[in-house]
Amino acid sequence: MESLIILVLAVPFISSLVIWFIGVNTKTVNIIHIAASIVYALVALNLICSVTGGERYFAFNEFLFVDSLGGVFLSLIAVTGLLINIYSVKYMEWEVKKGHLTDKDLRIFFALSHLFIFTMTLSVLANNMAVMWAAVEATTLSSVFMVAISKGKRSTESGWKYIVICSVGLAFALYATILLYGAGFAVIGDGHDAMLWTSLMDNAKLIDADALKLIFVFALIGFGTKAGLAPTHTWLPDVHSEGPSPASAMLSAVLLKCAMLAIVRYYAIVGNSIVGFEFVQNMMIVISLVTIFIAAMFIIRQHDIKRMFAYHSVEHIGIIAFGFGIGGPLGIFAGLFHSLTHSITKALAFCVSGNIIKIYGTRDMTKMGGLIKIAPVTAILFGIAICSLVGIPLFAIFVSEFLAIKAGIVGGDYFAVALFIIGLAIIFVGVFSHFNEVMFGEAKSEVNKEKIELSANIPLMILAAMIVVLGIFSIDSVVMLFDNATKIVLGS
Amino acid sequence: MDLLSILSIAMIFAALAVFGLRNYKLSVLTYGVQASILVLIFFTLASAHDIAELKSWAFVAILTKVLFVPYVLLRLLKKVQVESEVEPVAGFFVSPIIALGFSLAIAMSIYPIYLKFSLVQEHIPLIAAITVFMMGIFGFILRKSAIKQILAFCTFENGIHLTLALTAYNSPGIVEIGILTDAIFAVVIMSILAARFYKYFGSLDVSKASELKG
Repeated sequence: MESLIILVLAVPFISSLVIWFIGVNTKTVNIIHIAASIVYALVALNLICSVTGGERYFAFNEFLFVDSLGGVFLSLIAVTGLLINIYSVKYMEWEVKKGHLTDKDLRIFFALSHLFIFTMTLSVLANNMAVMWAAVEATTLSSVFMVAISKGKRSTESGWKYIVICSVGLAFALYATILLYGAGFAVIGDGHDAMLWTSLMDNAKLIDADALKLIFVFALIGFGTKAGLAPTHTWLPDVHSEGPSPASAMLSAVLLKCAMLAIVRYYAIVGNSIVGFEFVQNMMIVISLVTIFIAAMFIIRQHDIKRMFAYHSVEHIGIIAFGFGIGGPLGIFAGLFHSLTHSITKALAFCVSGNIIKIYGTRDMTKMGGLIKIAPVTAILFGIAICSLVGIPLFAIFVSEFLAIKAGIVGGDYFAVALFIIGLAIIFVGVFSHFNEVMFGEAKSEVNKEKIELSANIPLMILAAMIVVLGIFSIDSVVMLFDNATKIVLGS
Repeated sequence: MDLLSILSIAMIFAALAVFGLRNYKLSVLTYGVQASILVLIFFTLASAHDIAELKSWAFVAILTKVLFVPYVLLRLLKKVQVESEVEPVAGFFVSPIIALGFSLAIAMSIYPIYLKFSLVQEHIPLIAAITVFMMGIFGFILRKSAIKQILAFCTFENGIHLTLALTAYNSPGIVEIGILTDAIFAVVIMSILAARFYKYFGSLDVSKASELKG
């Protein structure tokens, strides 16, 4: 199993170097890009299957490991990442054809996207807390030029905001890492073990309570900035709306969750210590509700389709945090499961917004209209993404939101649940008014008659199918993986 | 007062100067001085507590923080040809004072927690480490200049490094390597983006960028 852990890191890293240095023409770059994405997904899925039953495997002197919790987040990179990567080929070709980007930009974009996958994978598989921090920081560094790939004021502004706000936020996370090591070393007494998440979990009850409280606050500020939790979410709408659609999809569907996993690792340590789960739950619930309401206020008045989806990412990160805020087996399960349902839904939403931008040549929803007549397939995919995003029954996100609400009611958190439902209701109303604007009526701008190729839509259809399947069926192996991941967080 | 405490206090004053100086070149050079003080602290700790690791940290810090980072920033300044900063959010005089006051207050309130497990049990250096970190954070918030924001990043990075040396100098080498590599790449990427920012906006004032709102 150690070789699989090494392989799952080696494949994207080597692919990135190969594309960067040997990608002579666009066709070769595309072939390497797709082949590498498929190989990566196969290796990662193999690894995930091996930890579904709660197994745990280590590599590199325990610096790296994979468990069910890591498996959940690895599945996002593997499955959602693969589908986004396949979609990106046609989309980026269009960007080059339109003169927005050059062939060289395309090569850089694909090379960076594999480097980005490498850094995200490293953050998910890191057992050493400092390696995890370094990997999360490296995700920013590797993706900043994916976002700011085109030249111009807007992309420069978004790139600048991205790197400075995330770096400042992550400085707090680094401080948390160092303090956790110091506090852990005082009780574990071994420099190597005091950095490992697994040993810190084993010794959580012995670590100083005041230190752990401070550590959690720092970690929540730090990784919360990267995850898009309010009030330090301000970089997210700019960055997710300015990059090419596949970059937005990858950032929103996968990256935010990797940062969330880092918070969950700290949540688990502090929750299982003498501080207890109440402290971490209270912090998560407050920050989650603030995040949801801030997102709701911006979604209502948003007319830029990608910014709307970006604020949706903020909202859904709030919902994941709400699951952990409610806590207990059901709440944590809901939070983890929401990471998956939001990941596939948001990947579809951003990719389909790429199609819509191709059709209308604008991101302004007030200039759109009549999508159902112009491009029925794209319209249906857009409809599925929206229905799932607002939590309509039979779509994936409904399941995780319902579980979070159920967990809150069972736990007696009526006030928090009431606020949560009000927040979601505001977003529901806001999103559906935008949805009508795009889907029906007449187009208010010139429509590009160029058809969206079926090959560009296939990955989106798979994502849509997954949303519906997860919304209707309960798949035993998926439930088992999430159950075991929940047990890890609860320390049982 | 011992040498370690004197050097730690000097680091706070250097951070204040990096923060407060209006001339960019002077500010970058002062950052170099601050990094040199950090190197001296590493050497002092290494000899006082007989820690070999800290000597290698010191040599790496000379190459990266004292030489490389100022070199990158001076090159950036040469490229953009801007000599001094425009008016910061809370004024030239007020904002460093606000930053120092709040940073010291935060440091005083949380350093007793650090003291419980810190490997080096010295009060003043621990307070200084937190203060320098927080001054970097405030520097970032209160300054609008891209160069000053990069310097703020480097300042809080120094604060973190000092904390690491005091509380966890025995941490695995990969920690030090990981943190430094990320920091170096971050400074290089920020410099590239700052130069691009100047090209498109004709200024280093990040508040001039208002294309993305709402």
